[in-house]
Amino acid sequence: MSETASMWEKLGFRKASGVSEAGWGQTLFAGLISLIYFLPVLLIIITSFKLQTEALAIPPKFIPTHLFGLIPDAYVFTPTLENYTSVFSRSMTAGAAAENTGFDRYFFNSIVIASVSVFLALIIGTLAAFGFSRYPLKGNDTYLFVILTTRMLPAIVVIIPVILMFRITGLSGSYLGIIMLYTAFNLPFTIWMMKSFFDELSLDVEDAARLDGSSDVKVFFKICLPQVIAGLAATFVFGLILTWNEFLFALLLTGVDTRTVPVGMSQAVAGGGIGVLWGLLAAIETLFLIPVFFVTFFLQDHLLRGVTFGTVKR
Amino acid sequence: MSEASKHALRLLGISKSYAHVRALERLSFDVVEGRFFVLFGPSSVGKTTALRTIAGLVKPDSGQVEINGKDVSQAPIAGRGVSMVFQSFALYPHLSVFENLAYPLREERLGREEIAKRVKETATMLKLSHRLERKPNTLSGGEQQRVALGRSLIRRPKILLLDEPLTNLDAKLRHDMRAELKRLHQQFGMTIVYATPDELEALSMGEEIAVMRDGAVVQHGTPDELYENPVDMYVAGKIGSPHMNIITAITGADKTTFETALGKITARSKIKSVASGEAAILGIRPSDVRFANKGEAGVKSTVQMLEPLGDVTVVSIVARGETLRMVVPESAALALRPGQATSIFLDHKKFHVFRASDGQAIT
Repeated sequence: MSETASMWEKLGFRKASGVSEAGWGQTLFAGLISLIYFLPVLLIIITSFKLQTEALAIPPKFIPTHLFGLIPDAYVFTPTLENYTSVFSRSMTAGAAAENTGFDRYFFNSIVIASVSVFLALIIGTLAAFGFSRYPLKGNDTYLFVILTTRMLPAIVVIIPVILMFRITGLSGSYLGIIMLYTAFNLPFTIWMMKSFFDELSLDVEDAARLDGSSDVKVFFKICLPQVIAGLAATFVFGLILTWNEFLFALLLTGVDTRTVPVGMSQAVAGGGIGVLWGLLAAIETLFLIPVFFVTFFLQDHLLRGVTFGTVKR
Repeated sequence: MSEASKHALRLLGISKSYAHVRALERLSFDVVEGRFFVLFGPSSVGKTTALRTIAGLVKPDSGQVEINGKDVSQAPIAGRGVSMVFQSFALYPHLSVFENLAYPLREERLGREEIAKRVKETATMLKLSHRLERKPNTLSGGEQQRVALGRSLIRRPKILLLDEPLTNLDAKLRHDMRAELKRLHQQFGMTIVYATPDELEALSMGEEIAVMRDGAVVQHGTPDELYENPVDMYVAGKIGSPHMNIITAITGADKTTFETALGKITARSKIKSVASGEAAILGIRPSDVRFANKGEAGVKSTVQMLEPLGDVTVVSIVARGETLRMVVPESAALALRPGQATSIFLDHKKFHVFRASDGQAIT
């Protein structure tokens, strides 16, 4: 590294070569814009530490500390973890003993259902995409188009036949049913994404591997797949976010045992007849955010490369 | 038998079509073992398809590929003992230089120590030892080229196919690599089939050259043969730089002399396959045109343009309406100025005669 390494580079942030560093003014401006984007999430996180009265207070209490007396009392709230404990267990009616809310189960369901179906879609979709890319059928584009048509209608339109199918086959309320549905729901996107990544690869490289003695299967696993890791990561994250947040299918097709967090959340909002428990809702949302947040954070390097794949001249 | 076994490689009437394009049209040639063989022709003439057919990446529609006397047309890629360097280098971008070089050996399931030893040898030979941990995209073009070459050589192939390997390099590097490739060929003695659209590469490296047009070989021979006796105007125009001077002519009654703007020109020998009065084309190499010495019967001409190339200068002159180019040593060219009147001498024996109708050589 050159001796002109900036503070950021010393902290381990890489800088694209040939790019001059932004000035403090630009950095500050960018920070401000990011803050606007992040504000709703920030509000939710802050609210999750407030009691109901503080959550509803006007003017809003937005900071948990006086900052050595700089902030007037009216804007300061006392942080509490009460909302977080009551996500999993609380008394449902005034004065009653605390009981399990079922959210531990919902979180488990969300994690299992989303990750299994996104993984399945990734495996099936990647193989299909490789097929479409390397062994095109007659009318290849038509097939790809047909696959995409399933995503051209809003879910609400498709839901009725799906409910009928689930009722007839007895899949309603089962893990198998919702996982199959989400896998199918993720497949078009996965196939299209992965096909575009495979299309970008150099065919000469694969031929070189064949000449070096690799079978077609080995060419796929040892040569093609490692080159599209970034694409796999990007597709995985996008699929995960879509599936993790899916509400409508989950509402209508999961049972008590297989209910996911978004459905549980909607019921918690309405629960109890004492108005919306904003603090509680914010706590659920914050917890709900964490898994996807971490997955995205750890894959973000790949994510960026995945999304910009092919836009940079090789 | 002895005739067949001497050939490391033989293509017999290979044809291959893609959707709407005829890539190869009954392509035939054979390569003697250990030869540096050049497939020469402009781009999209079928050179790459020919190489890919030899490698087994392309199955021909008809015809036969023989390697060491055995028909391998329908045989799988593995076991042909053929390796190939691609124009794009085709390095494995996700693997280090070491792993790129080791890949063919791993596929052969060699032991770890043997692989390490062979990679080290190859890297030393190609001056890549200090680059083994790097990824290909961090290397310079020349280094990538050497990795590609190393990956093909490490398996010790019987036949090495090179598909325009120098096209993606800059001029200086191209020059160095030409010498490097010749050295490797001498060192290992394998058969090399080298495809190039570059005349200089073809002439400087090839022991034998096959000139291709429209998916077939037009002429096959040593560089000298192609230069001295091109079979038609296509080959005459492709081989030799600057290009051959072309003069239109009418065949005389004796079929030996030709009427041209430059006067009567007598061919090397009597030509049978042409009718008197038929149009013909005469060609003479720029290096075969010289200024007339004192006392010689020259053709009056005017210097039009000078193109200094360092040690020699290409001089364009106009003689009786025909523009001719000649190659003159730099020392002799110093005295020349555009517009200067001069006199050139044409050695009639040096003329090539082509039929005007189809361009075939008839001398």
